Amino acid sequence: MTKQVRKKRFWLLYIVMVFGLVNCLQSSPVWAMKSGETHVITLKASNLPSGQLAYQMASHKIKSKYGRIRDVTDRYPQGPTVPGPTIIMTEGDVAEITLEHDIEGSTLPVSLHVHGVHYKIKDDGTVKAMNGIVDSAAFPGKPYTYRWEAASGTAGTWPYHDHTFGNPMLGAEDKGLYGAVIVNPSSMEVTALIDGEIVDVDLDDVKREFVLWMHETTFWGAEINHILDGQQIPLWSNPTIGARLGELIRFHVIGIGTAFHTFHLHGHRWLEHGTSSVVDTVNIGPISRKTFVVEAGEGVGPGAWHYHCHVLQHMQSGMMGKFRVLE
Amino acid sequence: MCLAAFLVGCQQGGPKPKAEDIILSKPGLMPSAILEITDEPGHWFKDPIDGDSLVVIKPGQAVMLKMTAETRTEHTITSLLWPSNASGFPVDQEKPSSVSVTTAFDQPGLYVFTCKVHPYVFGAVVVDDPKTEGLDIGSEMQLVTGAKVPTTSDIAKKLLRTYFVATTPALWRDYSKPTWNVALPDIPLNLAGNTISLSALSFSAPNKAFNPAVPGIGEVWVDTQFEIIDGKTKAGSATQVDATTWSIKKKVKGVDINMNHPHNMWTDSQYKNIYQTEWFDKRLTTFDRETGQVLSTVDVGESPSHVLTRPTDDSLYVAINAGESVVKLSGGDRPSVLSAINTGPHTSPHGHYITENGKLMVTPNALASSVSVVNLDSEEVVEIPTGGVIPIAVWGNPEGTRAYVANLLGTPPALLSSMSVIDLDKKIKITDINLAEDYNPITGKVTGEAYGLLPIQTPVSPDGKYVVTANTLSASITIVDTASNKVVKSLPCEPGCHGAHFGLKKGGGYYAYVASKFANDLIIIDMDKLEIAGRVVLADSNDSTISANNGMGGQGVLPLPLAEKSRLQRTRGLLGSGKLTPEVERWLKQATKSQIGGI
Repeated sequence: MTKQVRKKRFWLLYIVMVFGLVNCLQSSPVWAMKSGETHVITLKASNLPSGQLAYQMASHKIKSKYGRIRDVTDRYPQGPTVPGPTIIMTEGDVAEITLEHDIEGSTLPVSLHVHGVHYKIKDDGTVKAMNGIVDSAAFPGKPYTYRWEAASGTAGTWPYHDHTFGNPMLGAEDKGLYGAVIVNPSSMEVTALIDGEIVDVDLDDVKREFVLWMHETTFWGAEINHILDGQQIPLWSNPTIGARLGELIRFHVIGIGTAFHTFHLHGHRWLEHGTSSVVDTVNIGPISRKTFVVEAGEGVGPGAWHYHCHVLQHMQSGMMGKFRVLE
Repeated sequence: MCLAAFLVGCQQGGPKPKAEDIILSKPGLMPSAILEITDEPGHWFKDPIDGDSLVVIKPGQAVMLKMTAETRTEHTITSLLWPSNASGFPVDQEKPSSVSVTTAFDQPGLYVFTCKVHPYVFGAVVVDDPKTEGLDIGSEMQLVTGAKVPTTSDIAKKLLRTYFVATTPALWRDYSKPTWNVALPDIPLNLAGNTISLSALSFSAPNKAFNPAVPGIGEVWVDTQFEIIDGKTKAGSATQVDATTWSIKKKVKGVDINMNHPHNMWTDSQYKNIYQTEWFDKRLTTFDRETGQVLSTVDVGESPSHVLTRPTDDSLYVAINAGESVVKLSGGDRPSVLSAINTGPHTSPHGHYITENGKLMVTPNALASSVSVVNLDSEEVVEIPTGGVIPIAVWGNPEGTRAYVANLLGTPPALLSSMSVIDLDKKIKITDINLAEDYNPITGKVTGEAYGLLPIQTPVSPDGKYVVTANTLSASITIVDTASNKVVKSLPCEPGCHGAHFGLKKGGGYYAYVASKFANDLIIIDMDKLEIAGRVVLADSNDSTISANNGMGGQGVLPLPLAEKSRLQRTRGLLGSGKLTPEVERWLKQATKSQIGGI
């Protein structure tokens, strides 16, 4: 083998290695968590057979800052759900969300009004009479595209909901048009109480996330399962949520409607956000939210741990479920 | 190969886990249908898809019974009847609230829901097994009172027919038309394995309104609570009828204040102000009797139902039906809240009564199976358990020693329909009168006069001889002789028979006026003959601002002059003082000595 041939082979191998490494990094979940991505999303506002309204994920593609596109639509349920799809972003990401009006028998505008992230006034999700600029809403056959920016400092769990359907002042959140946006910190670390210590938890180590909405006297839930690559599972009303003993679980508890609640999970404790205060019950008002990480069954072991609203009248009306912790 | 895999992408190692092994959560109920609670007459439980008050699901599915912002007060969601073998029933919210319910239904059959505060608010779920023929109604239904009846029984069919009439304004009895047609659709129903058509429950009757031969004195106010009126989103008006000509003088609609379900009225001793409760709201409204102008509104509490003055000082007492109190207010044209008298836990007082001497007030406690007797000087409260289910209205004799309480759902287990008699001196229940003693709930056979089902308002005649009761399910008016505590007469009423009170008949004696929710006539009973003397239409066909339910929703009835003797005497004491209008002076002078009574 001549020196020239060896040199060619070296360069060929070098190019293959670099290409493979870039490909590997881009397709790994770790890479996916990095900020600077653009989420190109199509949501539909639709009907459920019951007459409830609900959002449905039609398409979700993630474009990296290097131009690579991943289609993650299959992470979501195929039909409309209550709550609507949970949109997960990282600080530094942008979402371009096109909303399609798919509500049978109605020509009323439907919208997305989001909390927490940055957006321009045209993306307020309200009618022109309210924002002074534009009907920031979708009509039948006339979708509307919103741009949300998960800017630095917007990390947290935020609600999105309709703000135009039927009543421009209220929208139709009460009829089921609501969902959550989770903005993960760019550090991908959150503080949690684990084994009695306040520690920073790497979000890559969280196995499951439960999004629990407290609406009137009902929990409406969804699971985001990271063992299954972020699969979202609709859990509907007052569900049994489940995990393995010792798994790190992140809860997102959000209020909607008019009632005030006290969320309590038996057998588990966590940190009040931004403090070192240990709690096992938190107040939840309309559109207020709490996010926390627990280790399933920590110190108490497996079991069917009750969770419920601690307002007595709400408990009497069945506002409760189980947190099943299995060996 | 390894290189190929490397080039394709560095995926997570190992086989992809099976979802069923990883997902440990179990979804909760997903409602297959919704019934939303609204303020819309006839559609109080409303399917958002088609607007009906009935949804059909399959066994194992769930329904959300949802409180909405469209109702401005609190309700209970309560099972009225359900298949006796159903699991998880009854659903019964202990107290009024804004709380929704999602529940699963396992057994085929008919499930009817109501609100214990507003007990004609109906919604129904039919759980239909697709494998059976016809829509499954079930074999045996259990009533909220504990009684179990076959679905083929007369009482079950009555309930079914009443449900369809109450929730379908097109089936309400409209006296502006010559015939009342209850034409139910040809839907096959499966009752205990036998298929019949719903249309078999259809019927028709001629509508014949007529004026009494003898005029009354004064006027009669009727709360036409279901009228839909241009310019406001909430239903209802107060209709003023001339008791001499039997024509409508005016309707007070409260457009500017969006008056909401006006339910019951009273007046001051000068007949200047009409005090009006808004039952599906929180307000007491005061309007000028002569002009109809709204003078004030004041928030008093959830679902104010009835209002009365204390005869001695014209202060107001308003029953807070979705609460646990009677609110006391100053009188005049701008009443203000003075205090709240707690009637006891979970009482939900509805149609109360104040003795003519002004010493005692009695509240029927709809959610507590009791009455409360209040000393109005000391405001001391004595609660008397009665065993009645949803005691809804009470009135007393002129001496203030006896009170008669209508129990909407009877006194279980023995009495399907009942009225409790209370000794106000001893503060005990004396007896229960069986209002349906002559009715066979299985066959439907009526063998005597005692035929009253689901009694509501129940005034005592000013001479103390009779108790007249409006019975909503049987569409009948029962008359009880207070000497024997027996039903001595039963007269035909209208669907949703509801409100009743006494007025003066010209030349002596009394008329009992009876209004019905699902009809637009006012029935006039001659208490000397115990016969119906007339049916006066409450619809005003010349009023183009009434867009629907013209004259419908008859509930509170207020005849003027007030016929109770001590109240009549008090107002007559103002004759010539300049405090009364010439019209009122003229009315009072028409009263006979017998009507006025001794001082």
